[in-house]
Amino acid sequence: MKQTPAQTRTTTIKPTWCPGCGNFGILNAIKSALDKLNIPPHQAVFTYDVGCSSNMADFVYSYGFHGLHGRALPLAAGIKLANPKLPVIAIIGDGGCFGEGIAHFIGLARGNHDILVITHDNYLYSLTTGQMSPISPKGTKTPSTPHGSIEEPFNPLASALINHASFVARGFAADIPHLTNLLTAGIKHQGFAVLNVLQPCPSYNKTMTPDWYKQHIQYLDKQNYQPTDFNKALDLAVNQKNKLPIGIFFQQQKPTYHQQLPNFNPDNPPAHQDISKINITPLLSTSKVES
Amino acid sequence: MSTFNWKIVGAAGEGIKVAGLIFSKTCFQQGLFVHAYTEYPSLIRGGHNTFQTAFSIQEQTAPQIKLDLLVDLDGSAIKLHQVEITDKTIILTNTQPTKNNILNLPLDDLIKQASGVPQMKNIVTLGASCFFFNLDLQALNLQITEVFSKKGPEVISKNQQAAKLGYDFVKKNYSDKIIVKEKPQSSQKDSFFLTGNEALALGAIAGGMKIFLAYPMTPATSILHFMAKHEKTADIAVRHAEDEIGVINMALGASFAGARSMVATSGGGFSLMNEGLGLSGVSETPLVIVNVMRPGPASGMPTWSGQGDLLFAINASQDEFPRIVLTPGDPQEAFQLSKLAQNLAEKYQLPVIILSDKYLAESHFTVKKFAPQHTNQRYGLITQTDLKKDKPFPRYQNTDSGVSPRTLPGQANGVHLCNSYDHDQLGYATEKIKPRSQQVVKRNKKIPVILKNADFPQPQLFGPQTAQHTLVSWGSNKGVILQALKQLPNVNFIHFPCVWPFPLEKFNQLAKSTQNLITLECNSTSQLSLLIRQQTGINITNHLLKYDGRPFYPSEIINYFKSKTT
Repeated sequence: MKQTPAQTRTTTIKPTWCPGCGNFGILNAIKSALDKLNIPPHQAVFTYDVGCSSNMADFVYSYGFHGLHGRALPLAAGIKLANPKLPVIAIIGDGGCFGEGIAHFIGLARGNHDILVITHDNYLYSLTTGQMSPISPKGTKTPSTPHGSIEEPFNPLASALINHASFVARGFAADIPHLTNLLTAGIKHQGFAVLNVLQPCPSYNKTMTPDWYKQHIQYLDKQNYQPTDFNKALDLAVNQKNKLPIGIFFQQQKPTYHQQLPNFNPDNPPAHQDISKINITPLLSTSKVES
Repeated sequence: MSTFNWKIVGAAGEGIKVAGLIFSKTCFQQGLFVHAYTEYPSLIRGGHNTFQTAFSIQEQTAPQIKLDLLVDLDGSAIKLHQVEITDKTIILTNTQPTKNNILNLPLDDLIKQASGVPQMKNIVTLGASCFFFNLDLQALNLQITEVFSKKGPEVISKNQQAAKLGYDFVKKNYSDKIIVKEKPQSSQKDSFFLTGNEALALGAIAGGMKIFLAYPMTPATSILHFMAKHEKTADIAVRHAEDEIGVINMALGASFAGARSMVATSGGGFSLMNEGLGLSGVSETPLVIVNVMRPGPASGMPTWSGQGDLLFAINASQDEFPRIVLTPGDPQEAFQLSKLAQNLAEKYQLPVIILSDKYLAESHFTVKKFAPQHTNQRYGLITQTDLKKDKPFPRYQNTDSGVSPRTLPGQANGVHLCNSYDHDQLGYATEKIKPRSQQVVKRNKKIPVILKNADFPQPQLFGPQTAQHTLVSWGSNKGVILQALKQLPNVNFIHFPCVWPFPLEKFNQLAKSTQNLITLECNSTSQLSLLIRQQTGINITNHLLKYDGRPFYPSEIINYFKSKTT
């Protein structure tokens, strides 16, 4: 029997990603994580940026908002602020998150807004045919940098850490079971969660192939690493020495943004508050506009 | 008692604004109609600040030019305010000896007597001002108590002492110069004394706004301050976000999730929000955007007023989508339209822009009290029982009104994609001919529906039904024109509280019985007349324009018509 969208968590639209694209693995891991956590499609909300990763919007069966380039994070934080009961996941690429939208990444991390940010990291702008991204190593030759990129690469994990993100992790798109575990932990985490996912781009990134990744990846959980020490996590994020550790770098429990609002009430989120009768009298007396 | 006009001037940091407010509220408390207007440069110390208060036993809806009393705190007044001084203007100063109407007030000596500090200079002048206008020192003391309540009883009593010394000194030395001989009668009641920004913020709250986001930008900032201060009492969430782009996108996320949301900024921030404005349009996500205008382009004159963004607001963001642009004329309208904006945005699922300006935003007006109780209805939200199947919900379903039913995240059987890309009825991206065209037409269908609805704020005619001249204007000029009209029996006035969608039918009907149309606006190209010509073919060739950052004064309008007839 044909499965329904609710069972598959996908629509009937066929993904438009290139064969071998890391986004397939990430989508599969997201589906497994939501299955594992028993979150029905209508209880999860996704925001999508603009880029190959975010074309996922048409394939996922869940509430979604496919927004503007670089702006998936503020959309997600707005949804969470209006209805903190729902898990909110932002799908974004390395270009949108660390280029155009970097101010939002920093601002929302500092506020510990309770969203999971999945940064699909292929070191390039692939939807616009492979220009350098903020993550590209210095000297990368692309159509916009034919003589080699001049900028030093942006460090997503170290930046997340120094800007107070409370969950910082890295996964690999081709290891779906491992990525599923990271996603499960990220969705469950209360606070600003960053999951940077390394993904091959078979069309434009010919150097960072799946084999290349396999040679560079190191599993943190096999090294008995504990993600509780900020300084160790930062050291790991900064001094990578040609290796790419994957796993949870750092996790900390602290109040989320919405929990710290002066009138936070988990049972009565702004999205569902009754506005049928509003009395402004208390405001008039405190604003001293009356005689 | 006719209208009186008081002004205090000095450097930033000398307490000009606080003194102006204390004096204005003293007048207001005594039952007078009060209008207060302030000018200040964009800095914290130095420069030249002014605060002027026009008060009367009759309705007062505009600032006046000619002064009855000018308080000079830094010796700059006579040079800088020449045009406002008449042969009757009393000038209180401590930098010049007494001569004719220039009256010396030995501020330093009086402060010493009160064992006060130099910062009390302004308060001494307020006591003196009360004498000239026959205002109760008691009423002034009440305001002093309120303003300094957080600083403790000693500060309050010293300031009250300083005010009394000022009062007594001028009473003893200049009693022949008294301006108002009889105590003014109380004539206004059940009023508020508030700014346009306060009225606008209150209206949004009354309209069910639950989430407010902003990045500070003069002259919209006091809306953010008001919302943040009252976050608890109003039961709203307020965030000063990382930038205006974050502001608008976060507000759209909140609105998509079901909370009525608003953002406020000025032209620069509104420019940054333009892509988000289009996102609201194409994704049909309700949003109220306040643009409190100041002169521009770019950084312009941050603390001054202007109306240069009319056509920008109507046309901002790429391609076409329906929007509503409201243009309140006074705090009463700012309150009503701000409340209405919350409802219109949700009802028609589109962006509603409110255009205010620094003059309306930061001036204080005497307005009739707003109703304390407000009712709101939610629009377009589908109930759970109507959702039968767990399959993609047609969020952008084609309807007669162009408005499609909405489900909110978390609602079972309502799963859908809200999309910034061109999309089909289910919300999924498409580049096909039919759905693209169908969705454009669907969105555009909202415009005639909006215009036909009884809640649409139609243009209004003020003054006589027929007149030799008809002023046509929008936004904050309303109060100034109404004040001027009292002396212009041959002039009436068409006010636009909403410029977009353009109220073609009503305007044509009003314009039919007019003889000479003259637009009055605070911009240099008469954008309203460009809009009217575009929409109606009526070519208005007479314009009364001002674009120097200052609002119109009623006398400028009166003089314009006087020069026309002579």
